[in-house]
Amino acid sequence: MSTLRSFGNAAGAAAVLGGLVLVASPATAADTATVSVLHGVPDTPVDVYANGERLIDDFQPGTLTDPLTLPAGAYDLALFPADAPDGSGEPLLQADDVAVPAGANATVVAHLSETGSPTLTPFVNDTSAVPAGQARATVRHVAAAPAVDVRAGGTVVVSAVTNPNEATLTVPAGTVSADVVLAGTDTVAIGPADLPLAEGTSTVVYAWGSQEAGYDLAVQTISGGHSSPSGVPGGSAGLADDSSALPMVAALSVAGLAVAGAGAARLARTRG
Amino acid sequence: MRPAAASVVLGLALAVGAPTAWVLTRPEAAAGVPVEQALPAPAPEAGAGRAPATPVVTARDAAPRAPRSVVPPVRVSVPSLGVDAPVDAVGIAPDGQMELPQAVSRVGWYRFGPAPGAAGSAVLAGHVDDQEQGPGALLRLRDAAVGDELTVTDAAGTGTRWRVVSREAITKQSLPVDRIFARDGAPRLTLITCGGPFLPEYRSYRDNVVVVAEPVR
Repeated sequence: MSTLRSFGNAAGAAAVLGGLVLVASPATAADTATVSVLHGVPDTPVDVYANGERLIDDFQPGTLTDPLTLPAGAYDLALFPADAPDGSGEPLLQADDVAVPAGANATVVAHLSETGSPTLTPFVNDTSAVPAGQARATVRHVAAAPAVDVRAGGTVVVSAVTNPNEATLTVPAGTVSADVVLAGTDTVAIGPADLPLAEGTSTVVYAWGSQEAGYDLAVQTISGGHSSPSGVPGGSAGLADDSSALPMVAALSVAGLAVAGAGAARLARTRG
Repeated sequence: MRPAAASVVLGLALAVGAPTAWVLTRPEAAAGVPVEQALPAPAPEAGAGRAPATPVVTARDAAPRAPRSVVPPVRVSVPSLGVDAPVDAVGIAPDGQMELPQAVSRVGWYRFGPAPGAAGSAVLAGHVDDQEQGPGALLRLRDAAVGDELTVTDAAGTGTRWRVVSREAITKQSLPVDRIFARDGAPRLTLITCGGPFLPEYRSYRDNVVVVAEPVR
């Protein structure tokens, strides 16, 4: 397990800090942040500690937490082997003073680097609205593998993504059959798998794992980014026109005035 | 002298009476509570914005899963208005408006929003008429009265009953789309078609007629 400790505390904290500070947004001035945690290190169940308190017990590879609403602030994160007595021993991964700014929405991923060493990477989740009828699809490469392409229905839609980077597309909502291939080749690493891209969501697909443990996909769906249709059309003939009687009513009224005027004129003449 | 006096009286009566009678007999533009009031936003949860220091964490398998299947509505009827129409699942038209079935005898259900009975506003909409096809299924929606009952039947054959709480003619530009297409709040059924004055130069109506119904328990 000593190789797992190769994660540099200072470097890791800086990386996490840098990633999360970017998402501080004045538009969402709540005093909390939304953080999800994905476990993408194969074969290594862990306990996750935040500020010395256990946050997640027996966290299994390939699982994702529900979004956590955390008070904004600085967190010391540490991952211990799940089978060790609670809070004892050396952490597998550790990052101190991780800034979690108010209004942020992020996913912290424990995963392998391209060369296979465990690392923590925070990703900022785009929760902005997508146009009505569309979905946002984000691909994140967190597997111990070189650059990959992502294909949908056999066509490359994302090319040459490297660990630990991401690519995002906005696409019509629906289910796509996707696979992951080594960049520039037809060598399938993962899939194909049916991915539902629900309307109005951000669907984040993680390619994770290693050659030895196998590669897999993990999916995170963030809802609430939907937009409304701009309006409702509905009719071209004028059959339901509720002003169609108006000209006739006006004509009747004018005719009545004319009749009354003529009568009044005659009255005036006969008196005179 | 007499016929002249009579024509003055009759003429004035006609001049005043015709518009008065028209105003009194034409259908009211709205009935019941305003549409926006019938489609309330959910109250914020108590304690929202505050988080416990150490939240309870749940984790789940992140492997790709098939989407939750929804049973779509297939028929809507409003017996008091003589409406009984098949329903098609529809999405978004290229111009960003809600898509509607081509056939005016059919009604569209906005499939990206809730199904009738789920949280939020399930939208059923149809053309009021068409130059070639004539009157549409929802032509008489503007006559809906508070308390009128509707039935929606889903693809599994299950019927749900609804009661009208609101009808309003709203200028298309000011349609409250965020509430009408809301995916949160109490379950509502919202029927929409066109109405108000017909604007021949646009071959279109000025207003949307919006009817909101609540579930009958």
